[in-house]
Formats: sequence, C-alpha cells, structure tokens
Amino acid sequence: MRIIVPIRQILDPRGFTVSRRHERIFVNRKEYIINPNDKNALEVALRIKDTGGAEVIAVAVGKPRVDDALREAMALGADAAYLLTDEALAQTDAAGAAKALAKAIEKIGDFDLIITGQETLDTGDAQLGPWLAEYFGIAQVTNVREATVSDGALRAKRDWGTGYAEVEAAPPVLLTVAPGANKPRYPHGGRIMAAYREWEVTTWGAEALGLDAADLEPLTEGRGRTFPPERTLGERLTGSPQDVAADLVQQLRLQHVIK
Amino acid sequence: MDLDYLQMLMGEEEVVVEEEGEGYRNIWVVAERVGDELAPVTLEMLNQAQQLASTLGAYVMAVLVGGDETLAQELIYHGADKVFLFDDPALKDYALEPYIKALGDLFAEKMPEIVLCGATDVGGELAPRLARRLDAVALTNCTGLTLDASQRTLVCTMPVYDGEYSEVVAFSPEVHPQIVTVQPGAFGVPYRDEYRSAEVETVAVDLDGAQPRVKVLNVVAEAEREPVPLPKARIIVSAGRGMGDAEGFALVEQLAAALGGEVAGSRGAVDEGWIDEEKQVGMGGATVRPDLYIACGISGAIQHYFGIQDAKFVVAINRDENAPIFKVADVGIVADAKEVIPAIIEALEA
Repeated sequence: MRIIVPIRQILDPRGFTVSRRHERIFVNRKEYIINPNDKNALEVALRIKDTGGAEVIAVAVGKPRVDDALREAMALGADAAYLLTDEALAQTDAAGAAKALAKAIEKIGDFDLIITGQETLDTGDAQLGPWLAEYFGIAQVTNVREATVSDGALRAKRDWGTGYAEVEAAPPVLLTVAPGANKPRYPHGGRIMAAYREWEVTTWGAEALGLDAADLEPLTEGRGRTFPPERTLGERLTGSPQDVAADLVQQLRLQHVIK
Repeated sequence: MDLDYLQMLMGEEEVVVEEEGEGYRNIWVVAERVGDELAPVTLEMLNQAQQLASTLGAYVMAVLVGGDETLAQELIYHGADKVFLFDDPALKDYALEPYIKALGDLFAEKMPEIVLCGATDVGGELAPRLARRLDAVALTNCTGLTLDASQRTLVCTMPVYDGEYSEVVAFSPEVHPQIVTVQPGAFGVPYRDEYRSAEVETVAVDLDGAQPRVKVLNVVAEAEREPVPLPKARIIVSAGRGMGDAEGFALVEQLAAALGGEVAGSRGAVDEGWIDEEKQVGMGGATVRPDLYIACGISGAIQHYFGIQDAKFVVAINRDENAPIFKVADVGIVADAKEVIPAIIEALEA
C-alpha cells in the first residue's frame, strides 16, 4: 500500500503576534512548522502503516527551506520525501501548487491513498484535497477523523453535519483529515539523525514535472489584510446569586447566544 | 378588493431572465438542503448574490439538486431570479459523484461568471472539484465578498490562523468561473418575499458512470455524538483553580450540560487533576472560538487569554474583582462561582 501525504510548511504562529489595535502583525521569530492539519493527515497515514504496513511518501511545494518540513515528516515516520521547488514553484499560488503536486503524484505513481489536511492555517485554503481527487478522478472522503485499511478496503469515520458517518471505499481514495482529528506523534529518536543527516529528499523543478510558466501563473492576487475589531470592556453584574443569574440568562437570550 | 387585485398591486413583475449572450455570465448559487429545508447558508448566499448582481448587472441563478418545487419557490422568495431544479429521485440524497456530474454538466453549458457554494461539508467538497473540472480555482471559507467592478472580479475575505486576521484575495480577471465557498453566518438572511415570482426550469442529468464510489455504512446524528472537539464547540464552560475542589468542578460540568456545551479547563484545572490535558484551553492547549465562553474561577492569565480571544461572548465569574479575566469579558460577575452556577442552572430551567 502506497500512501502519499502532501504537506505544507507555514509560518509558526507562536513566532508572531497580531495587534488588532495597530492592524499589524509583529513577527518576533521567523520559524516554520508543518501545517498542523497536515500533521494530522500524516498521523492518519502513519497509523495505517503501523497496523497493516504501508509506504508513506511526503510531498511538498515551496521554497528550498521546505526541505526542513519534509525531513521532519521522515523523522515522524515517512519513508520518502519529495520537494517540488524552483523559482516558479516557490511563488505560485494554491492552484499552481495543486497542479505541481498532482504532477508529482503522477510521477511517483501507483498510489493507493492520498491523505491531506482539510485546510491550511496560513491561507485558509481548503481546496487541495478535492481538487486532487478530481484531477485523478478518484473517490474522496473529507473531514476524516480516523481511517483504517483491511482486506484492501478503506474504512473511515468522518464528521458529517452535526454528527458523523462511517464510510467505506475501495482505493484509490483521497482523504482529507479534519483539523485536530488526532494527536500527532513526536519524531522517533532514532529517525531524527537519519532524517536530517542521511536520507535524501528528492527535488523536482517545474520542468521535471512537465509544467511551464503559464501553468504556474497565479490565478489569484493578494489585496491586503483585515483584522477583527478590538475587544471592549464589558459590564459587571452585581447583586445576589439569583439576581445576577437571572440578569445573565436574560442577556444571553437577548444577544441570541443561547435560546 | 379581491386577493388577485392585491397581488397584482403588491407583486413585482416576474423576472424574465434573458439567457442570450456571450461568454461567462450571472451569479450562481448552489443551494444546499438540510433534511426537508434549505440550509441557512443558501439563503444568506442569495442575499449577497443579489447585491453583487446589481453591481454587475447580472442575474442570480440558483441550482437545486435533488429538491422539489416547494424548495425551488423558497429560493425565488429569497432572491433567485431563476431556479434550475434537478428533480431526479436518484439525486434525493447527497452523494458526491452524481451531484458533481449534475453541477459540472450544467455549469459547462451555462458558463457562470461566479459560483457560490456554502462552506459546509457538502459545499466544501463540491466547490474544489468543480473548480478543477471547470479549469478554474476556488477561494474557500470566505467571510466577506466584494467586487472589483473595474475587473469584474470577486474580492474575498478569508480568515487565516483560526481567525487571528484575514487575508483579502481577489481572483485574476482571466479566471472563470470564480468559485467561492461562503461561511455560514457571514451574511444575513434576506427578506422572504412571497410575491416574488420567477421561472423554475427542471433539468435532467445523465448519471451513467456517476455512481457513488463511497459507501455510507452508518450515520450517527447529533444526539449520540461524542464530545465536540473544543476548537469547534459552540458553547464552552471552563473551570479554573478558583472552583476549589472536585465538587466545584462538578458544578461546571452541570452548567455545561444545562447549556448543551462542552466542558474545558485552564492549566490550573488540569494541574488539579479535574480534567484531561486535551480539554485545556489557552497556550499549550486548545484555541477556541465559541459563541459563548463561560470562565468559572479562572483568573485569566495571558496564556489563557490567547486561547479564547476569538470567543464571541465571554462571561467571567470570579471572586477576585482584580482578576485579569474581567478585562476581556463581555459580562463579569464578581462572586463565588459555586454560589452563582446553581442559580444560573435554575434560571436556565425557569
């Protein structure tokens, strides 16, 4: 069983603070992490590997620094890693990255599952998974919490409306994993040294993927940022416990916070 | 005065949609059903679509897969200028492959300028597939939609980093259709105008080769659902060290149950062993953004505040009137939470 896990590297939110008052982002430390939701996806893949055996391959698009994220994925348990990078790939948007990933997955070939995070924290983009499923014309299960493979069939538990659903499909299948679906493991001690010192990350540029400049032309353009309003000081309720309780419940109902 | 005359006086003229024309045109809303009703986000999208349409000089088209005439009329009452209805009984229950076939074929023929889907389970998995199928791109989970009228492009607000701030992103002018998913609650529900009338066109789709590939074994509705993960919880009642003991903590659980919410705790509550680490809110724990967050006996150190700053409505109950939590609370109660909570539960039941 071959499982491909596209991952994305993002700016670590612990390294910056957002000032609503100044409508600015103050970056203290420019550090990068694997998009947390993609780590949930990798964890789903690694659990399948733990139970039934699988080859887990991590793929990422971006600047050369993304190499770090892929090595972390290998330290966590991925068997191989591919970095799609060159000048054009480093600057493309979600659509271009999706095309590059699709071409790379095609080139790697013979996959049974593609497992990715439902959304990326730094762009709010939630399109990669279904986009890839459509590209390959395969089944998809979104918002997955758990997945297992037995007798060649994939079974998954997914969020569905206000509840959840249990589903089954025959590979190849694309899964998107719900944010916070699991608690990702820590890197394996023995793998860390090997991942950073010995193992190779295969690097492909746009040309190797058969993509030209026109394919990677961004289809969207940034127009700045907006910030939520600042919090204002609230009111105090006073009186007996019964009085404040009645006041509170009335307020919550008036504000439609509760029914 | 008879009713017909009244209707004539009050009724708008039926919208006559001109379908002639070249290129990509009109704003399309992909309607979504929940049980026998339209999802609220569908009505909200119609509202926003009408505003965009008036700027663009476009019509608002709604497409309803697997619904009926009654729901189609509701779409018109809420702002659709025309409804395309797939009434094939095979489309009654949602399944990705047949739905994407129906929508993909229709859009390939009609060439929409803009397509709006709900940022829901269903819309979230349809929109990106449509984007790929129609050689376009989707912008997802948008909370704001405006127009760059000079380029006829949509400008979308997309919350990032769990809503810490938002990126504003526009489509490039050459992208067609411009597909977005719209977050539920981002726009208001439009006025329901029963006098509005428009055409409902029934359409069919060839479902050959579009059989569902995923088999649903079992659906568990809300009632039996496991605890909602904290980042998604709508109501959270959270305990801090100020609850004193396990008995005090039990009160917090009772309040959460009375409100239909989730129980959480500060670092202090975890240290006391009242609650698991997974239920910790704040730095080192979960970041939450519920509609209502009730902090009971939590002093509200900055580490805790980081986890709750996006809560829509914060209630703080604490004995110490100088507790920092009061600085971020919409409603503060300076009292012993152990006395107030039972009173709140009583007031909720009253």
